[in-house]
Amino acid sequence: MLDGVSAGYGGHEIVHNVSIEITPGRIDCVVGPNGAGKSTLLRAITRDAELLAGRIWLQGTEISQTPGNRLVSRGLAWVPQLDDVFNTLTVRENLELGGFLLPRRRVAARIEEMLELFPLLSRLTARVAGRLSGGERKLLAIARALMPSPSALLLDEPTAGLSPEMTNLVLRDQIPRLSESGVAVLLVEQRAIEAIEISARVHVMVSGAVRTSREAQELRGDWDELTRLFLGEE
Amino acid sequence: MSVFISALGFGVVTAAILAISAVGFTLQFSVTNVFNLAFGSVMTLSGFVAYWLNQVGVDIWLAMLAAAICGGLISVAINELLYEPFIRHGVNLFGMVIITISVGLIFDHGLQAVVGPSFFSYNAPAGKALHFADFVLTRQELAIIAIAAALTAVVQGALQYTRLGKAMRGLAVNPALARACGVPTRSVIALAWFVSGALAGIGGVALFLDISTFTATTGSEFLIVIIAAAVLGGVGSPRGAVLGALVVGVVTEVGGAYWNPQLKDVLAFSVMIVVLLVRPQGLFAQLANERAVAR
Amino acid sequence: MSAGTQYYIATILVYISVNAIASWGLDLQFGVTGVLNFAFILFQAVGAYTAAMLSLGPPSSNGGFQHYPFGVHLPFPVPIIGAMLVGGALSGIVGLITLRRLRSDYQAMVMLVVSVVATVVIESVIGLANGSAGLSLIPNPAHTISGVSRTAQSWLFVGICWLCMVLVGVIMYGLVYSPYGRVLRGTRENEAAIEAMGRDATRARMQVFVIGGAFGALSGALLAEFIGAWAPSDWLYPETFVFFTAVIVGGRGSVSGVAIGAALVCVGVQQAVQYLPIGSDPTVLASLEWIITGLLTMLFLWMRPQGLLPERRRRFSIPELRKLPAVGSEGAVELDA
Repeated sequence: MLDGVSAGYGGHEIVHNVSIEITPGRIDCVVGPNGAGKSTLLRAITRDAELLAGRIWLQGTEISQTPGNRLVSRGLAWVPQLDDVFNTLTVRENLELGGFLLPRRRVAARIEEMLELFPLLSRLTARVAGRLSGGERKLLAIARALMPSPSALLLDEPTAGLSPEMTNLVLRDQIPRLSESGVAVLLVEQRAIEAIEISARVHVMVSGAVRTSREAQELRGDWDELTRLFLGEE
Repeated sequence: MSVFISALGFGVVTAAILAISAVGFTLQFSVTNVFNLAFGSVMTLSGFVAYWLNQVGVDIWLAMLAAAICGGLISVAINELLYEPFIRHGVNLFGMVIITISVGLIFDHGLQAVVGPSFFSYNAPAGKALHFADFVLTRQELAIIAIAAALTAVVQGALQYTRLGKAMRGLAVNPALARACGVPTRSVIALAWFVSGALAGIGGVALFLDISTFTATTGSEFLIVIIAAAVLGGVGSPRGAVLGALVVGVVTEVGGAYWNPQLKDVLAFSVMIVVLLVRPQGLFAQLANERAVAR
Repeated sequence: MSAGTQYYIATILVYISVNAIASWGLDLQFGVTGVLNFAFILFQAVGAYTAAMLSLGPPSSNGGFQHYPFGVHLPFPVPIIGAMLVGGALSGIVGLITLRRLRSDYQAMVMLVVSVVATVVIESVIGLANGSAGLSLIPNPAHTISGVSRTAQSWLFVGICWLCMVLVGVIMYGLVYSPYGRVLRGTRENEAAIEAMGRDATRARMQVFVIGGAFGALSGALLAEFIGAWAPSDWLYPETFVFFTAVIVGGRGSVSGVAIGAALVCVGVQQAVQYLPIGSDPTVLASLEWIITGLLTMLFLWMRPQGLLPERRRRFSIPELRKLPAVGSEGAVELDA
C-alpha cells in the first residue's frame, strides 16, 4: 500500500523511502523510538504532512494526490493521536459526523452497530465528547472512524495518555476485534511489546526509515532482538 | 410602570435586530475564527442595496430579501477574495483583525464617497400601532421581532439537527477531524460566510427601519453593540448571542428610559465588561479555547 | 519665505513629531509586545483634555462658556507632564481591567468598546469636557512669549515638539534595544517561554500599556496646545487604526521605522490627498484618506509585513547557539543582536 514513501514538513524530509503493505483482517504495527517519524508517516497518508516522494495505494486505487476530505470516500479512515473527537458535540453527534458520507437512512443503523461493538459507549450517547474519560474518548474516536465501514484504518498511538486498564481494553480487546471484522489496521504504537503481541506484522522504524519488517511471531518475547533493533546496532 | 413596559417593548425590538446580527457575526466567527470587523459594513452596504431598490418602488420587505442575498454574496466574496488569500499568505489571527478593519474602512468610506455624508431613510410606513396593555408596537416592529424569532430559531435548529449544521459545528471545533470525516470544509466555510452575510443584510435593513435615518457608517457604529451582545453570550455560541442580544437590548432601552437615553449604550458596555470580569469566557460560552485561524 | 509658507512647514513638522510620539506609544504596545490596544486614541484624548484643563484656568474663565469639572492655569511644561501622568494612570486602570483576565481576542474587543464608551460618555455628559463641542481656547505655551513675531512663536513650538520627540525616541531606543526589550518581544512571540524563564508576561504587558499610554497622552497634550481646541470628533475610535497603519508601514518594533511610518501615514497621506485632481469635496477627500490608509495596511501586510525599516534582529545558526548558555529550543532561534 505504501510504496517508497518519503515525507516531511516544509520540504524538510523526516520519513525516508518507506514501503509497507497492509491487508484486510490483519494488524500491521509500526514501532520505534520517539522521533522516528512514525506519526509523520501516518500524517503523510492523511495529507497532514507533505508527501515528498513515493506513492500510496488503497485497494488498487492510487490515493497519493487525493485531498484529505476525499480520502474517507476511498475507504481510508484514521484516528489522530490528539484532538480525536469533536469536543463540543455529543457522542451520538460524533458518530453521525463520522457517517457524514453514508446515505442518511444507513446512519442510525450503523450507529447501533458501533454501539454494539463498543458497549461502553452505548450508555453515553447523549454525553458531550469533551466530558468523556480518556479511554471512552479513544473508543469514540475509533468508532467514529469506523462509521463509514473503511477498508483501512490508521491508528496513531491510540494508547497515549491512557490508564493501564484502558490501554489493555483498547489494545488487547477492541483493536484485535476490529481486524477480525475485516478492516486492515495500521497501528503506530509507542508501547512496542503490547503492540507486537496483537499484530501480525511488525515494522521497526528508526530515524525515519524502516529498519526491518517481520512477522510478529519472530519478535514476540525476543527482548534482546527488539532492543538491538531499536538501538540500531547492526 | 408604563414607562418600564414601553421601554421593554423598545428593548425587545432592539434585541431582535441585535439577535439577527449577533447570530450572524458569531456563527461565522465560530466556524472560521476570523473576527470580522467588516461585518457592520456588510450590514450598511446591503441596507443601501435595499434603499436603492426601495427608491425605485420595491416593497421594503422584498428589498430586505434582496439585501439578504446581496449581503451573503458580499460576505462570501470578501472571504474568498481577501481574507482567504491573506490567511493562506500566513497572516495570523491578530493580523486578520487588522485586515478586517481595513476592509470595513474601505467599504464604509468608499460608500460615503459615493453617497455623501447625508442621512437616508426608507420609504416604508411603520404601520398601525398595536396596543397590548401598556405595550405599544407598530406593525413594522412586530414584523422585525417575528423575523428575528424565526431566523434565530431556524439557524439554531439547523445547527442542532441537520447533518450540515452538525458538520458546521464539528468544523468549528476540529477542522482536521471534520476533513477526516469527509466534510467538504471549503464549501461549509463558504456557507457559513453566506449565512453570516445574509443575516447581516437582514439585520442591516431591520436596523435602518428601526432607527429610521441612516448614513454610510451606521452599520459599523452599531457593530460595537453587536460585538457587546456576542461577547456577552460567549463569542462563537449562536444561542449565547441571542441571549446576549436580549440582555443588551432590554438593559439599554430600560436603562435609557430611566436614566440618560444618550448613555444607554454605555450601560450595555458596562454590563458586558462586568460580565467578562466575572466570567471571562462569556455568559453562555461552550468549551471556548483559543485556536488558530481555521482554513 | 513668506510667513504663510513658514507656518505651513511648522505645522507639518509639529504633526510629524506628535504622530511619531503617538505611534511609538502604540508600537511599544502592539509592535514590540503584541498588545492589540484598540483604545489607543483614548489615551491621546485623555492627554489633550488634561493638558487643556491644566492650562485653561477655572471653568469660570473666558466668560464661563465651556463646561469642565475643574481647571487651573499652570505654566509650561506642567500641563504636558500632568497629561502624561494622567494618561499613564488611566492606562493602568484600563490595563488592570482588560489585560489580567481576558483572552487576548476578547482584550482587543473590550478595548474597542472602551474607546467607544468613552466617546459616548464625553459627548453626553457635558460637564466632563464640554460635550461634543469640546474644549477650545487652549493656550499654546509658545504664544505666551512676548516680544517675538507669531512666526517665531510657531517655530518655538516646533522646537518644543521636536525636543519631546527626541526624548521619547531616546527612551524608545533604550527600552526596545535592551534586555528588557527582549522580554517584551518574547512576550509577543512566545509567552510560554517567557513565563518559563521566570518573567511575568502580564506584568510586561501592563508596563508597556502604562508607558505607551503616557506617550499617547503626551502627543495629545502637544496636539491640543497646538490646535487650541479638542473635541470628541478628534478621537473617534477608527483614528486608532491610523496609528496601527503607521506602525505596520514603518515596521513593527523598529523605532526609526515607526517614526517614518508616522510621517508617511499620519501626515503624508493627508497632504497627498490635497494634491490629487479629484476636486475639493471634503467628504470625498476624508473618505479617500481612510481608503488609502486601509489599502496601505493591506498592501504592507501582504507584500512587506516587516515594514519599511524592519525590526533589527539577528539569526543565530545552530552551532553558534550551542555555544550559548542553554536556550533549549530546536531550529533557528531568533535572538536580538
